[in-house]
Amino acid sequence: MDEEEIMYLAFSLLVVLIVFAFLSSFGKGWSLLAAILAVITAVIIIMINWADFIIFPFFTKTFGITFQPARDYNIIKTQDAIVKNVNGLFYATGFLTANVFSYSFKEEQNDQDIESKLLAAPDNWEKAVMSTNFPFKFHVLSAGNDIQQVRDEFEGKRSYQEFQLSRMQQKEGAANESAITEIRRNISVIQAKIDRISRGEKPVSSIMYIETTAVGVSEKAAVDNLTAQIKQLQISMSSLDLQISRVVGRELYLLFKFNFSLPWSIKEVESQFSKEG
Amino acid sequence: MNPKIFMFLGLLGVSIALLIIALAVPLSILPSPIKILILALSLLFDILAFSSRHYSYIIMPALQQRSKRIVLSNEEPYWMSTSEDSIIKREKGYFIASVYISIPIYRSATEMTDLEKVDFSRQASKLIGVSRDPVRFTTEMYLMNKDAYLQILRDAISAAENDQARLMQQKSTDPEELDMVKGKLAMWKNIFDNVSKVQSLELTSYVTVSAEGLKEYEAVSLAQQKAREMMSGIASILGVTPSIITGKDILKFVEPEYLIPFSTITEQINKNIEEEVI
Repeated sequence: MDEEEIMYLAFSLLVVLIVFAFLSSFGKGWSLLAAILAVITAVIIIMINWADFIIFPFFTKTFGITFQPARDYNIIKTQDAIVKNVNGLFYATGFLTANVFSYSFKEEQNDQDIESKLLAAPDNWEKAVMSTNFPFKFHVLSAGNDIQQVRDEFEGKRSYQEFQLSRMQQKEGAANESAITEIRRNISVIQAKIDRISRGEKPVSSIMYIETTAVGVSEKAAVDNLTAQIKQLQISMSSLDLQISRVVGRELYLLFKFNFSLPWSIKEVESQFSKEG
Repeated sequence: MNPKIFMFLGLLGVSIALLIIALAVPLSILPSPIKILILALSLLFDILAFSSRHYSYIIMPALQQRSKRIVLSNEEPYWMSTSEDSIIKREKGYFIASVYISIPIYRSATEMTDLEKVDFSRQASKLIGVSRDPVRFTTEMYLMNKDAYLQILRDAISAAENDQARLMQQKSTDPEELDMVKGKLAMWKNIFDNVSKVQSLELTSYVTVSAEGLKEYEAVSLAQQKAREMMSGIASILGVTPSIITGKDILKFVEPEYLIPFSTITEQINKNIEEEVI
């Protein structure tokens, strides 16, 4: 949770707390109804905070709400495709997030592992492309980070882990042994990252996503074709060891806008993608 | 102040104001059912205030339009710069220009040694960290535009059909000449069928850079400057000569109908329908 998220959550839930504090002002019998309304509001707010990508499409699908993000474009009620009508032919565009599996950042990797991944990458990519017979775009949105800042951050994390390690070593017991092993592993992972920066590798913030477009003689046909294409992409790109999931809701609008202009900073985009990815 | 925060505070203010009315006004003036209604409205504004963090772009148009089809913008998503080397968009009072740079890579993993494959992967890793500003690297597979070629074939078929009709109307037609025209017509039709039936795909790689400015020309010149810096970075890492994409070629990166050309795909759809009917 970032500071902005905490601020939004705290102020919104404050209203609910005020209701609970003054329940008696609604009169006998009605205070229970007021409490129920307050609980429902709190639940909705918490659900929006953690799973808006489920709630928002459910809401728009239930009420049949569509959006026009620009002239000739239409975001359909399921919030998973943008459709453009060109002279009676419908073009449906959908997006997939393509995150590198998070475990690859957490595990200890030696140089040999990295070498073998680099060796396999061009072949895997070509296999994935060759098994695809429809238009798609593979995007990597990236920005190089400040090397010194990232290094300082890692060194800070390493110092904290070392402090934890020295505290653990002073205690006794079998449970501590496993905790010490875990901390040592964390230190070696952080150290490996520092070493990579020292060897000249640049730390990068990046977001990967895939865009595909399908065509149909009606909106439904185009969206059905798009769904089939997305399923095929999920299969063909699986060899790249990516976590691929279909983008729905607000991220769809955001990625649509990226086709015409890039964001001003990658940090704002990362916070938008933190939930679904 | 950030308009998003402004909207949040506004909606939260409305929510709190309604809540104060519901709590502070005595029951003798406002009966309980009315108080509950005001409370429900207050909580609704509270939910809207919280939702404005991510959905501020929807809330105001939705409240104003109160329709199932919410128009977020009725304008074209972009326009082409006069120099035709970038596309421009206006957002929050700024002009944002985007430039597209082509990366001519014609290497395949099948013709690389293991060492070359590792080098290539390392080059790609280096490439994505070349800029401190957000840059987008894209590999795009798109349908080859066969519209012009299909039109030439259609013209040839029409000309052969006209010749055939003319010869068949004549009483003293040379049978050999008629056979030749029929043969030519069959040939063009076969070529047309083969060309339109098969989907041909092309693969291209490009980089997108954007820059904003208070004036259109300022945004374009900043984006061009960023693009030139990016091009020198690409050239030094990959050893290729990148180029700025201009004119209609940009459209296949932004418009779906250029990604899948209209005439080419229409022929294919027709063929698929014919095959399904047969």
